[in-house]
Amino acid sequence: MSQLKVKEGRRKAPLSPWKSANPKKSAKAAKPIEGVASLDHRFGIPFIAPFFVIFLIFGLAPVLYSIYISFYKWDPLGGSTFNGVQNFVTLWSDSDFWLAIRNTFSIWALSTFPQMAMAIGLAAILRSKRLRAASFWRTIFLVPNITSVIAITIVFQQLFGRDFGIINGILGLFGADHIDFIEGVVPSHIQIASMITWRWIGYNTLIFLASMLAIPDELYESASVDGATKWQQFIYVTLPQLKNTITFVLVVGTIGGLQVFAEPQQLDPSGGSSKQFLTLTLFLYNQAFVNNKYGYAAAIGIAITVIVLIISTINFLITRRISNDGSRR
Amino acid sequence: MRKKTLFKGSIAVSTAAILAAGVLGTPARAADPVTITIWTFGDVIQRQLVQEYKNLHPEITLQIKKSDLDPLNGTNMVTACTSKTGPDIVAVEVQYSGYWRSYPKCFTDLRKMKTSEANVVAGVPAGKTALDFKKNYLPWRWEQGVGYDDSVIGFPTDVGGLEVAYRVDLFKKAGLPTERGAVGKLWPTWEKFISTGVKYNSKLSAADKKAGKGFIDNAGTLYAAIMNQGTEKYYKNDGTDSGKLVYDTNPQVKLAWDTTIKATEAGIGTRIGQYTSDWNIGMNKGTFATILAPAWMMDYIKQQAPDTTGKWDIADLPGGGGNQGGTQLTVPSYAQHSQEAYDFITWYLAPEQQLKVFKIYGLFPAASVLYKDAALLDYKDPFFNNAPVGKIYSEGVSKVKPIFEGKLQRAIDQAIGAGLGRVAAKKMTAAKSWAQVIVDIKKVINN
Repeated sequence: MSQLKVKEGRRKAPLSPWKSANPKKSAKAAKPIEGVASLDHRFGIPFIAPFFVIFLIFGLAPVLYSIYISFYKWDPLGGSTFNGVQNFVTLWSDSDFWLAIRNTFSIWALSTFPQMAMAIGLAAILRSKRLRAASFWRTIFLVPNITSVIAITIVFQQLFGRDFGIINGILGLFGADHIDFIEGVVPSHIQIASMITWRWIGYNTLIFLASMLAIPDELYESASVDGATKWQQFIYVTLPQLKNTITFVLVVGTIGGLQVFAEPQQLDPSGGSSKQFLTLTLFLYNQAFVNNKYGYAAAIGIAITVIVLIISTINFLITRRISNDGSRR
Repeated sequence: MRKKTLFKGSIAVSTAAILAAGVLGTPARAADPVTITIWTFGDVIQRQLVQEYKNLHPEITLQIKKSDLDPLNGTNMVTACTSKTGPDIVAVEVQYSGYWRSYPKCFTDLRKMKTSEANVVAGVPAGKTALDFKKNYLPWRWEQGVGYDDSVIGFPTDVGGLEVAYRVDLFKKAGLPTERGAVGKLWPTWEKFISTGVKYNSKLSAADKKAGKGFIDNAGTLYAAIMNQGTEKYYKNDGTDSGKLVYDTNPQVKLAWDTTIKATEAGIGTRIGQYTSDWNIGMNKGTFATILAPAWMMDYIKQQAPDTTGKWDIADLPGGGGNQGGTQLTVPSYAQHSQEAYDFITWYLAPEQQLKVFKIYGLFPAASVLYKDAALLDYKDPFFNNAPVGKIYSEGVSKVKPIFEGKLQRAIDQAIGAGLGRVAAKKMTAAKSWAQVIVDIKKVINN
C-alpha cells in the first residue's frame, strides 16, 4: 500500500521458507526462526492445498462451466440445446445490455470519485494531531461497512422517499419541487451511489489514513520550513504521496462498482420501470433467475469478464505510468 | 364453543387412535428424532402453531429457513431440484406456481403419499392421500398446486382474497357514503371505481392536492386485480402441458391494461409504491383513502398504522371477486423425510389450524369448508370498524375462477408492471409503453 511497507516487506523477504533456495541451511544459520524456516517444501503442499482445492471447485470450475453453457439454450430443469454463438449475437443487439453498461458505469463514477475526494478529506482530518479520541472515530467509520445492504436500502429509501423523504422535505423548505428519485435516471443513480458511498467511505478513509500516516514527517517539516501553508502541504506533499493508494482504491472500487447488485435489486427487482438502474449483474441475475435463460445469463457473465479485463488493462497501464513517474523522480 | 367441540372430537379420535395403534402395534415410530427442514418466507409458517406441533410431536424438530435475497425461494428451489437435494418442505408463492406447475418432477406427487397415524390424535385421519383432502379447499386455489401432468404438488395455505380497504373518516370528509354496503354500491364496476376516485379527488383542498393526496394508494394495483377476475391470463389451456401464449390477443389483458391506464391518467392514485416507507407513512397520514387489500395485508395495515384503529373498513371489490397472493406448501421430490413432511402439511393446513392462523395473523384460509363455519363468518375485526371480514372475504374468494398460469407468467407480469410504471411516471405514452411491453415480453419468450 505505502512505499514504506513495500520496503519493509522486501527486507523481510528471506524469512519466507518458500523463497529460500536452501531452507535447511538457512534454518541453521538463523536460529531464532528455526520453526518456520526448517519446513520442507513437501510440507508446504498440504498447507496451500486447501486454497487451490477450494479455488478449483468454487472458482475455476464454475467459470469453465459458464463458458460451456453460454453456448447453449440452457434450462436446468427443462433440458438444453446447443445454440452456437446465438446468445452472444442476441446480447450484442440487446438494448438492455447497453443500458446496463451505461447504468453500471454511471453509478460507478458517481460512487467512486466523490467518495474518494471525501475519503481523502476525512483521512486528513483523522490524521490531524489535534483530533481527540482518534481511535474512536477511526472505529466508528467502519460501522457502515458491516451493515447489511438490505438495512441500508430501507433507511435510504426513507431518506430519498418522494413524498415523505427527508431530502425532499428539505428541498421543499426552499420551495423546490419534490424529486422522484427512483423514477429519474440520474436521481436514481445518485441514490444508489450514495448508498455505496455511505457503506464504503469509512473503509477507504482508513486506507488513506494508513498511507498518510506512513508519509515521513520530515517532508512536512521541510515543507513548513519552506513556508508552505497547511493547504499547500496537503496539495504538494500529501496528495503526491497518496498516488499509489489512490490507484489501489480506484482498482478495488472498480471491481466493486461492476458488481453493484443488491442496492438496485432491493430498490426494484427489475431495475426500475424503464430499467433506469438496471446494472450488469442485476441484468444477469434477472435473465437467469426470473426469465430462466441461464445460457444467456452465462453469456452476460462472459461479457462482464471481458469488460473487467479491458478495465484492468487500462488500470495496469495507468499504474505503470504512475510508478514510472515515481522512479523518474 | 369451537374449542369444546374440537376437544370432544379429539377425544373420540384419540381413543380410536389408541385402539388402532394397539391393533397395528406401531407406537415405536414416535421415538425416532426427526428434523424437518422448511424453506419459507414471511409468516407462512406461524410460530405459535409450530410450538403446538412441537407439543404434539416432541420427537420432531421443525427447522425453518428464510432467505433475504431470494425470499420466494425461486432460485434456491431450482438449485435444489437440479442437484437432487433439498429441504423437506418448500413454501411456493403463487407468483411461482405457474412455473412450478410446469416442473412437477421437482416435487413429490402428494397423490401417492398416505398420512400416517401420527396426527390421528390431532384430527388428521390416517391412510389419506392428497385427493382425499381436496374437497376441503377452494377449487381454484387447489388447482394452483396441481402440476400440468395432474400430479398434486402442493396444498394451499392461505388465499389472498382481494377487497377494498377504505378510510371511513376520509370518505365522510369527501361527502361519500361511509357504510360498507353503500360504499360497495358506489363501484359495481371498475369504471365506477375510477369515477368515484375522480369525485373524491375533486373534494380535496388545494393544500391536500399539493401534499400529493389522492383516492387510492397506487392506481397500478388495479391491473392485477382485474387480471385475476378473468379466466385466462397470458396462457390458454389448450390441453398441452405448456399451454398456448395469448398475452397479445386475450381481451382480459387489454381490458386490465386500458382500465389501469385510465385510472392512472385520471390521477386517482398517489403513485406511492406499496411497501415503501412513503406508503407506510401515508397510511397513517391519510394520504390515500383506499387500498386494494388482500386478506393478508390487513395484518400489515394494523402493524404500520396503529393510530388509525377503527378508521378503516372493508368494502366489496369492483367487478366481483378478487385474489392476490397465497402460498402452497410442497414436498420436493428429494426430501429426506417426505412422510413426516406430508404429515405436518396435512395437519398444519387442516381447516382447524387454518382458522387459528386466520384469527392470529389474518391469513385467510384456503380451506373453503370453513366458509360455512360460524367461527369464520361471525368474525369481526375492530380495527376495520368491526367489519365482518370473514364473511366479506369468503364471499369474494368464492367468486374467483381457476386460471391456467403458465411457465413465464411471473416474467410477463414484471414486464407489464414496468410498462404501467412508465406511464404513471409520465415517461412514456400508454401506446408507446405497451409497444415496449410487447418487445420486452418477446425477449423473454424467445431465445
